[in-house]
Amino acid sequence: MFVETLSAQPSNAARFRTVSLAVAICMIAAWICGGYWYVHFYPAEKALILKGPWPFAHNFFMETKEHLFFVTAILAKLLPIATRERPYSDAAERKLVLSIAALIAITGLAVEGAGAIIDHGVKVALLRTASKDAR
Amino acid sequence: MVKLSPATSGFALAAAISVLVNTALSCAKDAYAPLKAVMKSFAGHDWTAQSLIDLAFSVALGLIFMNTRIAERIEPARLTASLIGAVVIAALGLAVWFAF
Repeated sequence: MFVETLSAQPSNAARFRTVSLAVAICMIAAWICGGYWYVHFYPAEKALILKGPWPFAHNFFMETKEHLFFVTAILAKLLPIATRERPYSDAAERKLVLSIAALIAITGLAVEGAGAIIDHGVKVALLRTASKDAR
Repeated sequence: MVKLSPATSGFALAAAISVLVNTALSCAKDAYAPLKAVMKSFAGHDWTAQSLIDLAFSVALGLIFMNTRIAERIEPARLTASLIGAVVIAALGLAVWFAF
């Protein structure tokens, strides 16, 4: 989306509007699917993490991630509205769309990174249990 | 001065305010257990309730700003800077809150 906007022209306007709508739809899908997983399956993982050697994987990373996600989602909802303007003809409009796209990417990567640490929090908790059982 | 459309400016300002409200709500429910309990009783899980509150708040505020054309008076560059600033404050606020 960011790259599309950098090269925004009337000829690719339809494409970047479609891409911006796809971003919003994907984010809504992630909201529903991720939310379902979080509400129904995460409590068991949380219990494991908190008993394991990496409790900060929940206490800091999950707590921050689950609320930072809303920021990304709110921005993704704004994107298709902003691209209804003409970012190819006005610098201020282009900067707004570029900023929204960049913020979505940055907060999205932060959420993804936190997710990797949370997964590892579960893994190290399970490894510790398994190594105790092996002894 | 180039103006953004009422919809873009209204929803951009609404997004800037909504991300800050989201951070405030996250900290408030973490600090005050009865609020978390009320949110849980409302939607089965506090995270689900916060999802619905964030969504409803940002859409309602966007529609209000769009119809009243309040945000249209703000210079586009200032609106963009406000949105970036709000996201940075919201993200750092969450990180600092849950770090301590």
